[in-house]
Formats: sequence, structure tokens, C-alpha cells
Amino acid sequence: MVSLAQTHRLASGGLIDRSAPLNFSFDGKILAGFQGDTLASALIANGVKLVGRSFKYHRPRGILTAGSEEPNALVELRTGARREPNTKATTAELYDGLEAASQNRWPSLRHDLMAVNQLFAPIFVAGFYYKTFMWPAKFWEAIYEPAIRRAAGLGRAAGVADPDHYDKAWAHCDVLIAGSGPAGLAAALAAGRSGARVILCEEDFALGGRLLADGGTIDRVPAAEWIARTLAELATLPDVRIMSRTTLFGVYDGGTYGAIERVNDHLPSPPEHQVRQRLWRIVAKRSIVAAGAIERPVVFAGNDTPGVMMASAMRTYVERYAATPARRVALFTNNEDGWRTAETALRAGLQIAAVVDARPEVSAAHRALAAKAGFPVLNGSVVGVDGGKDGVRKIAVSLTGGARAEVEADGLAVSGGWNPAVGLTSYHRGRPKWQDDISAFVPDSAPPGMVAAGAANGAFGLGACLSQGFAAGAAAAQSAGCSGTAGTPPVADDEAFSLTPLWHVAGKGKAFVDHQHDVTASDIELAQREGFESVEHLKRYTTLGMATDQGKTSNVAGLAIMAAVSGRSIPETGTTIYRPPYVPVAIGAFAGHHRDENFHATRLTPSHHWAAEQGAIFVDTGLWKRAQWYPRAGEKDWLESVTREVKAVRSGVGFCDVSTLGKIDVHGPDAGAFLDRVYINTFSNLAVGKARYGLMLREDGMVYDDGTTSRLAEDHYFLTTTTAKAGPVMQHLEFCRQVLFPELDVQLTSVSDQWAQFSVAGPKTRDLLRKIVDPAEDLSNEGFPFMGAREVSLRGGIKARLFRISFSGEMAFEISVPARYGDALVRNLMLAGKRFGVTPYGTEALGVMRIEKGHVAGPELNGTTTAADLGLAKMMSTKKDFIGRAMAGREALAAADRQVVVGIKPTDKMRRLRSGAHVIPKGEIPGPDNDQGYVASVCFSPTLDQWIGLALVERGRERIGEIVHAHDPLRGEDYDVELCNSVFYDPDGGRQRG
Amino acid sequence: MAEFSWVSRSPLQHALVAGAYGARDVEPGVSLTEVRNFELIQIMARRGRWADLASAAKTRFGVAAPDVPKAIQSPDAALIWSGPDQFLVLSKGGKHTFAPLSQAFSQSASLSDQSHARALIGVSGAKARTMLAKLSSIDLHPTVFPIGAAAATSIDHTSVNLWRGNDRPDGQAVFNLLVFATFAESLWHTILDAAAEYGVSIAYAEELA
Repeated sequence: MVSLAQTHRLASGGLIDRSAPLNFSFDGKILAGFQGDTLASALIANGVKLVGRSFKYHRPRGILTAGSEEPNALVELRTGARREPNTKATTAELYDGLEAASQNRWPSLRHDLMAVNQLFAPIFVAGFYYKTFMWPAKFWEAIYEPAIRRAAGLGRAAGVADPDHYDKAWAHCDVLIAGSGPAGLAAALAAGRSGARVILCEEDFALGGRLLADGGTIDRVPAAEWIARTLAELATLPDVRIMSRTTLFGVYDGGTYGAIERVNDHLPSPPEHQVRQRLWRIVAKRSIVAAGAIERPVVFAGNDTPGVMMASAMRTYVERYAATPARRVALFTNNEDGWRTAETALRAGLQIAAVVDARPEVSAAHRALAAKAGFPVLNGSVVGVDGGKDGVRKIAVSLTGGARAEVEADGLAVSGGWNPAVGLTSYHRGRPKWQDDISAFVPDSAPPGMVAAGAANGAFGLGACLSQGFAAGAAAAQSAGCSGTAGTPPVADDEAFSLTPLWHVAGKGKAFVDHQHDVTASDIELAQREGFESVEHLKRYTTLGMATDQGKTSNVAGLAIMAAVSGRSIPETGTTIYRPPYVPVAIGAFAGHHRDENFHATRLTPSHHWAAEQGAIFVDTGLWKRAQWYPRAGEKDWLESVTREVKAVRSGVGFCDVSTLGKIDVHGPDAGAFLDRVYINTFSNLAVGKARYGLMLREDGMVYDDGTTSRLAEDHYFLTTTTAKAGPVMQHLEFCRQVLFPELDVQLTSVSDQWAQFSVAGPKTRDLLRKIVDPAEDLSNEGFPFMGAREVSLRGGIKARLFRISFSGEMAFEISVPARYGDALVRNLMLAGKRFGVTPYGTEALGVMRIEKGHVAGPELNGTTTAADLGLAKMMSTKKDFIGRAMAGREALAAADRQVVVGIKPTDKMRRLRSGAHVIPKGEIPGPDNDQGYVASVCFSPTLDQWIGLALVERGRERIGEIVHAHDPLRGEDYDVELCNSVFYDPDGGRQRG
Repeated sequence: MAEFSWVSRSPLQHALVAGAYGARDVEPGVSLTEVRNFELIQIMARRGRWADLASAAKTRFGVAAPDVPKAIQSPDAALIWSGPDQFLVLSKGGKHTFAPLSQAFSQSASLSDQSHARALIGVSGAKARTMLAKLSSIDLHPTVFPIGAAAATSIDHTSVNLWRGNDRPDGQAVFNLLVFATFAESLWHTILDAAAEYGVSIAYAEELA
């Protein structure tokens, strides 16, 4: 292995594993790091300052933070199908062989020609899209937007399917904790000791939060020791689950939380059988947000120069990763906490160029430290940064009193104070409240069951974090019903925190508020001048806070500047609405297992595997796989196969699996009365052993569904639905039973999956069935007439149900057996029918035969047709009430000029028909005024040797014989068709009754 | 005259391959066992007749019928709550068949045979709960879902009856799933996907134990 110098790595210290060196590449250059690094810390250790180009102006950018709030250091991680754009270098864990590339630059990061955008900066102000690309409007989608997207942007998507898998899981607990800093760990201790089921989510791979960088003393031991001790105790508690690499990103109704676990993001690719990421839905009785706080920048000219970094981030890189972002550091702070970075820098042996403190007073202790270490303390503010893609060179300071100073440094640490992470507490439209002493928003209300603790609640001292966290954990456990005792809380001292608010330092040059969206202080001032003063308008007009980081480092500064220019206070200016997710979540994680062939569950008919053996072509109908046709060797296309199947049925015998129909047992003394109310026709007078076709309406009078229902016993009907409506009809009937007609004694059970059901059709149907049915059963027309239904015995000992019903128009039976015999039945039908040339047929032939017979199906039962439209008005009983009766009588539903079902055939017998064509009067110009209907179902009829169809046409049945025009702009076809009787085949029904 | 054989074929017959699946370098964390031959009868009280049904059930099975989401084990049947005023009777093939039960409950209930409408899958093993957490929103923690707990719920958008049976001799919990037959193969693949990382041991039993 090549040993690569890590020029900016301290010789010792940090939480990295120096015994586990790793190689990685950035823009093709091989670099080295250690286990325990992030990509950002490893880049810093290698002296890399320039990591990206900004969104709009292509300005050189470095690493600003050390966490998930990072706006700048976005990279494309991995390559090929796994390439993942906009990945934060600050949270990407280093692994051996990691490949990262900078994004939004051309041709290279150092020489980005798109940086020419900076010259046009005066026109790229807030709202410039709207102002510049107004005319002509049609250019927006085709020209302007694609061009803007090319010039301004983020990384590139992989462009091919993600090879990794994701899944989703549920978890349940009493107390859910977000964050493993001092508050989170103390909360977990208290809740866990009390006996609660606890889940603690930590987005980092290491536990401890700010303790990992800032250390401190807890219970008189160093923080690292306290963390280890605490984790050891938590591990002994039975129901405490620590989930690292897991970000809690959303809060939903009923105490449900969303979390994303990066299960294997820290490896080049997931191990076999494992997922890349897992989406968690966590149901918690109580939750504690101990998500900490985010240090905020100060807005000044050049504040986006590589090498300008949050003061706390600089501490993290030095203390946790032993990586030095700079050798000669300047510090700009308006608060006490910022000074901790000076202490860290000194401990690490870095030079301190100067500390610029914007507060009027600097403590004697700090002055003593400065004197001892030999660096100046400048009272004032940074007003400018001299530097570029190689980083900070010089800092201009405006001293209190008006004088200016220059400081040479290669890094600038900035602290503008801390903003509690109020996102999770605000996701139910909560608005945080302003707290003056820390000049920050803190949670005011929270979703039910949630509290904030520690820094997330505005308590920045270590002692306060521990005590708030512990108290919250104990209280949450108690209110979740746990009665154990929480024991002794961990204790620590509080650090001093004094802050003089400072948001924006006026100066020459661009001063960035939102680094990721390139929104400057002057953009906010412009928005105010143009009247976009409301924070919600400000956000949308300038795009402040709308980038992938959702403004974690910029929102508060932005509205503070708006407050200043509009002469209001910050609380008066208010915050925008907080919405999940807290961090970007891959769509793949939301999809989980549901992709490709697993996009949805599939249902298989009892004859599925037999049909597959026959080489059937399957079609997806809803969740079902249905055999569409059964091709035979030598057949050149589907039409040839389907035509053969239809002819075989019409001349001999065939069968089709119709198990997909919904099947419902309707039981009880009032079953008949119940059916009378849900169907338009009467079922209470149906004789036992008979079947009847029924039609249901919706309450609005439109047709809902149809099917045959048989009476198998006095108090038992067997109802069938269409395949598509099987579920909805069951729900509808349950609603009728439970809500509309609770007085009826009727019970419903879905038996759709209990029965394998096949339609056996064709003139030789009886011949076939006689081979398979017990000889004692009478299948003659007298012994088993049309619309008969009863149980029969089959040869070999099992029982079946036979229904003499026909969808094809042929002599037909439907035969059903308990589903586990379905496979045997289909094989036995083949055996029994061999000498009759029995032919299995699929849904296409089924469809052809029903169109030939003029039976309506899905395309006609489409939710806009009435019984009369379908030619079934006579079925509507006038002797009883039924669902939809009253509304079906509405004027428009009974109008004489409604579009009704009628047959069509092309005047040119060779012409193919297509469904969807509009019907207009012959000789008229196609258009909405002349639109008289449309073609609903079409097929090639082998029986008539031409294409035929069913159409819905105004007054269609009165216009039989009329030639009309079919207009099909979608396919560019125009042709004439003749309106005809919708029953093309055997109109008097002799065949099915014979 | 041709003779016909009527071989019963489970909806999982094609998909189930007995043996090991998924991660092999670990002790299988999930055991899946399909039971192929069983009687399953849906019993729904007629209007206002729950008390009569409950009493008839007590006579017939020797245990109370479940009126809350529970599965109650009698010596030769499990009575599994499936909704208000209704339950399923699961027994060995040939034990509590449709016809005699219809007789026994003719006064108080409506019955539907569901023996062929479902597939029965037992899930156990050290990772059973972890795996099921990927599929089910039900909290299966031992204190929340003890032996005999039952739910009519959905797994991967597929309706199931889920209940906890008696523990295995080695103390592992057993979760039973009744899934609609036409969905069974699809759900089976989903379960295998969810379980693969823990290592799976797959078996089937002809008869209900």
C-alpha cells in the first residue's frame, strides 16, 4: 500500500483508528484517511480546502460545518449505478476505496468555466428567473428552464436503476429519543432505568454528540469515560435500543415518527442479502428531542471563502478527527462559546492569528489567555475575506471605533451563536418562540407526547443538558406508565454563555446567507424593497432555505436581516413553517421492497402454474396475473392465437379460469331481502338451485357492478362480482350490512380464494363434463337447465359446484372446486376433453366472445353509465326500493339523448377498429360540439371475420343502420362505422340455452 | 373411462423450497413452516345471537369463543378472533369439518369453509420478531403480544390473520399467519426477502401439529 502523507493530521489524538488506514479518491486523486473519519475530515487531513462550486455563481466553496447541516461540501459519492449526488462530505463515513467527485463544475473544480456567472452576478439577483425569462412564455419549459438547470445546479443522478435494496420496518417503544449527546444519553438512562422501552436514534456513527468534540467532565470523570460507562449501563437494560446512523426525520399522526437508518452506507456496497438503508416507522408513547443545536454563521463579505468554517466544526475536526483545517487560525465570535475554539487550537499547537470578538467586553480570563499565547484580541467585526479557491489568505477587520485591521490567516473560525434544532418540535405547525438571552428560537409547543431537552430546548450548558435530559427521560417513562425509579442523575458544571447578537456585518462584496442556494444579504434587502417582506414570501422569492439543507445554517440569519431592514423585531418577523424530512431521504427508502416485480403484491389463480407450463402469456389485471392467451408453435401473433381459441370454443369446447371473479357468501334469514336492496332486480324470489344476473347501482344511480348470484339454500346465496370490483363490492356490501341495514340478519364472507372456478364453454361442453362428473348427475337441458346452479359429485370422489351460466354466448357451465383442487381440475379437464379437442382460452378470447355476444364489461361499466345506457333498464324493479333507485331517476340520467351502448362495425370490412375513437355524425367537423360518444370495446371477431365493437353513442339504439364517423386523433385515424345491434352473435340466445 | 385423481395442491407448493435460504454463514434466524392440510371454518354469529354462538362453541370445543383479538387453543382446535361476533376454527385436516360444524351452529351462526382460501405459515426463530417488524405494524413485543394474542391485520398490503401460538420446545415464540391463498406466493417471496439477511430455514408439514 502506498503510504500517503496526511499533511494536516495531528500526530496523536482524536477518535480515529490509526491502525486502520483507508485509501480514497477525490476527483480522481488518491488520498488517505483512517477508520473513524468522515469524507470531510479526511479531506481536511489531506489539506484539501476546495471541495465544491456554488449553485448559482459557481464560487469556490469549502467545508463549513461538521454535521448534517452542511450547505457547501456536497459531492457525488460512488460511481456508476451507485452514484449518489449531493452527498454531504461531513456525514459520509470514510471507507476503503471510497470514490468522491466534486459537482456542478466544468471542466474541473479548480478551473470552472461556469464561474463566469459571477461576472453576471448583478442580474442573478433574487427573482431573476421571473424577471428575466418572462417572454415568450412557451420558451420556459423548452429553453429557459433546461438551460438554467444546466448552469445552476447540484450533482448528477446515476441515471440507471439503483442496484441496492432498501426496506422498511416498524418499531415500537415507550420513549423515543432523538440524539445521543449529553441530554439524549441522560434521558435514555432515566427512561431505561425506569423500565421503559427506549429507542434512541443518533444520526452519527459515533455516540456522544458534542461531547465527542467538546469533552468536559461529567460525574467527575472525562466525558469519553462517562459515555462508555453510560453505554455499558444502557446495554444491561432489557429494552433500550440504540440506533446509530439513524436520523429521525419526521413526526406524524398518532405518535408515529419517521427515521432513516443508513445500514450499509459506510461500506462500498451492502453485504449479500443486506439492505443499503432502512426506513423506520417508530410508534412511541413519548418522545424527547435531544437533537442539540446548530451553530450559526455571521453574514459578512467573503464568508463563503474556503477556509471559513464554523468555530464548533473546527473544534470537531481538531478534537475528534485530529485534522487541522488551518495552521494559522483567526476566530470571529460574538459569544463565549466561540472562545473554546481558541483553546482547542492552542492545545493542538496551531497558531492563532487573532480573535475578533464583536462583544463590547472580553473577559479577563480570555485576555490573559491571549496574552499568554501571544495573539491579539480585536474588538470589532470581520468585514471582508481575501482569498479564493486556495482558501483564506487575509481577513479585514473593522475595529470598534472605526479603525480597520488586517489579519493574515489560512483559516477563519466563526461563531454567531447557536440555534436549537427546532425542526422536529415544529413539524405539526408548531411555531418556535424567541428567547432573548440566547437570541435564538426555542420550541414553544410540540406535537403530542413530545418534549425538547438540552441544547434543542435552548439549554446550552453541559450541566443543564444532563439535568434536562434526565428529567425528561424520567417524566416520559412515568407518563408512559413505567413505575421504576430513574436513580441518580449525572451532573456537570455549566459553561458560561454570553452573547451579543450579530447577524450581518455590512461590507463590500458578496455576503452569503444561504450558501447552498447562493442567497446573499443584498438579495434579502432587495426582496424587502420589492415588497416580499413576509418570511414565506421572502423564502420563495429568494429561495432562501429551500436547498437540500433546508436552511439549517441560514434561515434564522435571513429573517434577522429581514427584520433589520423592515424595522421589525425578529419574533415579529417570525419563522417559516417547518416541514419534514429533517434531512433528505432517498426515494428508494420510501419504496423499500416495493419495486420492479415487487412493486405490488400479485395474485395467482389456482391454474397459474399449469398455465405457465403451457406457455401462456400473462396479463396484469389489477393485482392478478391472468392467462391472456395460450400461443401454439407456428402462430405468428396474438391475434392468430386468440382467433384459434375463439373458433375452438364456438365449434367445440374450451375453458377459461374465472377464479378472479369476486365471490361472496351471503348468509342469513334476510339474505334475499338484503340482495333486493343492493341489486336493481329481485333476488328474494330466486328459487334454490337457480342463478340470476344482477346489476348494482351506486347511490348516485350509476351502475356499480354486475355478476351472477345463485341461491344455494334458503338462507345462502353465492354472489359473484367482476374481477376489478371484487374488493370494493365486498366493502360496499359490508357497509350496507353494518350501516345502512343493521336490522337485517345477514352475514357476508368473502370466499373468493376458497373456490377455483372455470368457465367451460362450447357446443361440446356437456360431452366433456359428462366425462368428469359422476354419471348419476343429470346434465341434460331438462335436468340442468340454463341458469341452474347446484352441487355435483365428480368422478374420483370430490364435490364441485356447477352453474349453467354463459358469458361467451355458447352452451356453457361454470364449474368450481375448492381451490387446492383447482390445479387437478384443470389437468382433468384437459384429460377429459382431449378427444373433443378441448382448448384452454385466455382473457382475450373471453373478451372477444363477450363483445360478439354484446355483454357489457369494464369499458362500459365505467362509472358514467346507467342501467338504461347499457340497455338493462328493464331490470330495474318498480316493485321495491334499491340503492341508486331515486338518483337514477334524475332528469339528466333519464334524458333521451344519453350516450347508450350500441354495436359498431366499420363500413370498410378490412378496417381495424380501436377503442377510444370519438363518434361524430358523418360529414361534420370533429370537435366538442359534435362529439356524440366514443368507442368503448373492440375486437376482431373470428365469427364475423371482421372487427366489431361496442360504443357509447347518443341515442345510439334509435340510430341502428346509420353511418357515423370515427375520429381518432390519438392515432391519426378517421373512418366510417355503421351503428348496429350490440348483440352480434346468436341474438336470440338459442346456443346458450340449448 | 378415465379415472381422475384429485391431488390437493397448496398455494405455496411451487414457491416453497425446503431447506436453507439467504445468509448461510449464520445459524438461521428465521424458521418458516407451512402447514398444508387443515380445516378452517369461518363462523359468524347471526344477528343478536352471539351469546348463543358462544355457548354452542363452549359446548363444541370446550373453550370460550374469542370476543376480543385472541386465539384460544382447545385440545383439538384453535378459535381465532377474526372480527366482531366472528371467529375462525382451525383444526387438523378432517377434524372439525364444515358439515358437522354447520349442523352444530345452525341456530346461531353462518358458516363458510375457508380451508382452501388460506395458506398457513408459522414463523419462529431468534430473528422472527425482527423480520416480522419489516412486514407488520403490530407490536410483537412479548409483553404486548403474548401467547394467544391475535390480530386481523395486513402484511405488505395483504390481509392476514396473525396470532401467537404456543412457544416451541426451545422457548422460541411462534407467530402464525393465515394469508389468502391467491396472495400466498407473492407474500412468501416478500417474507423470504425480509428474512434473507438473518438466514432462513424452510420446511413444510402435511398436518397441523
